[in-house]
Amino acid sequence: MSDLLGLALVTLIIWVGLFAYVYRVDRKVRRLEES
Amino acid sequence: MWRLVREALAVTAKDLKAEFRTRVALNSLGLFALTTLAAVSYTIGPYRLHEDDRPFLLSTLLWIVLFFASMAGLDRSFVKEEESHTAPLLRLSAAPHAVWLGKLLYNVVLLAMLMTVLVPLYGVLMGFRPQLMVSFVAILALGGFALAATTTIVAAIISRAMTRGALFSVLSLPLLLPLLIFVIQGTTGSVTGDTETVSNALRAVASFGGIMTVVSALLFPAVWND
Amino acid sequence: MKIGDILKWILLVWMVAVIVASFFYVHPAEGFIGESSRIVFFHVPTAWVSVLAFLISCITSVMYLRRRDPIDDVRASVSAGLGLLFCFLATVTGAVFARIMWNAYWNWDPRQTSITILLLIYAAYFALRGAIADPERRATLSAVYAILAFVTVPFLVFVVPRIYWSLHPDTIINTRGANEFDSRYTQVLMASLAGFTGLFVWLYTVGSRVEAIRLRRRQEVL
Repeated sequence: MSDLLGLALVTLIIWVGLFAYVYRVDRKVRRLEES
Repeated sequence: MWRLVREALAVTAKDLKAEFRTRVALNSLGLFALTTLAAVSYTIGPYRLHEDDRPFLLSTLLWIVLFFASMAGLDRSFVKEEESHTAPLLRLSAAPHAVWLGKLLYNVVLLAMLMTVLVPLYGVLMGFRPQLMVSFVAILALGGFALAATTTIVAAIISRAMTRGALFSVLSLPLLLPLLIFVIQGTTGSVTGDTETVSNALRAVASFGGIMTVVSALLFPAVWND
Repeated sequence: MKIGDILKWILLVWMVAVIVASFFYVHPAEGFIGESSRIVFFHVPTAWVSVLAFLISCITSVMYLRRRDPIDDVRASVSAGLGLLFCFLATVTGAVFARIMWNAYWNWDPRQTSITILLLIYAAYFALRGAIADPERRATLSAVYAILAFVTVPFLVFVVPRIYWSLHPDTIINTRGANEFDSRYTQVLMASLAGFTGLFVWLYTVGSRVEAIRLRRRQEVL
């Protein structure tokens, strides 16, 4: 059961990290497009 | 339409005539195939394989030899034009579809010649004897045509790129792998006498070849007129 | 807040929900060893997205050949790049699954073979792009190759697996038949498919915009 919890946490961290990264890139691109 | 066919046959004839003068592609195809066959026959021969494995393994080896020999020789049709700078003249003198059809027929002829020599030799050296001979010949014919169709359009593509040699194999093989699976299954079936496998495989090969031919005919002008 | 931003936050929450659900809401499915059925929630969507990305690449390639607008070439290469990434992920998750179920990471069963061929096609596409210097010729030739390559996909997805026996559970493609899976499993699988598709769309639009800016900058310099 704790193995599953560990895996779930790792997956969540990967997902949130990926989301944050792409969101940052998105914001930067938007700024470049508006300039 | 007949004008197109006549132009295409003229292109084929020109290529074949030029080829027989220097025999570069024929040598590449032939020597590669014969050398590989010698290596396979020497290491495996007709006796070393277990009886149950023979149909599948022998079919596989045959088609691997044919495919890799094609990688060695079937790109000549277009690469030669670019190298000898005769491509612009060809563009002026023939319609794009005639060029494509002509080069396709040229590859078909080369492959047919290779198969005529290689397959009987393979049969003798490896003890390869299909039960369903007609089906086997059909697979050779349809599979060979599909192989020629795919390699013709890829040869056209890479002749316009920079690093030609390795690129031909890199681009062709992924496209040809499904075909390889089909012809191997079909050939195995023709050896064991399994008519259902053979007919499934023939259908798959025919549709693959047909679709490749149609799509490459549609795409060729974009490659050629660049 | 613009609607684009709202959609992105929804995607974040959606995927968090999918991840949590796939580990704690779903019961392990029958016929699968241990908890391995949970991998399917990540493996199937990545495989689906890689084919979708290939389709987009093919469509934008056709559009490029029609109207010769460089933006179509940008879209084709961005989509192909994403397709390569997701194809790689699908292969890896599939190999992990195969290790658990059949004790071998790789056994060349028809589906593993098909995904490898897809990977090789993507790699060949980028090899071709790398071998051509002139941008217009590169765009034209890679567009032709993308279309040609996509023609093989129906054969890879439908004909190859049928032509001989497969280790792959058939229910993977027939989840709508759903006789082996309970409703929770199907719900989460569908939700994951939607989430991954949304993620792909987002990555695709961001990537296309980045490359479009690069293209514009280069044209301004010239």
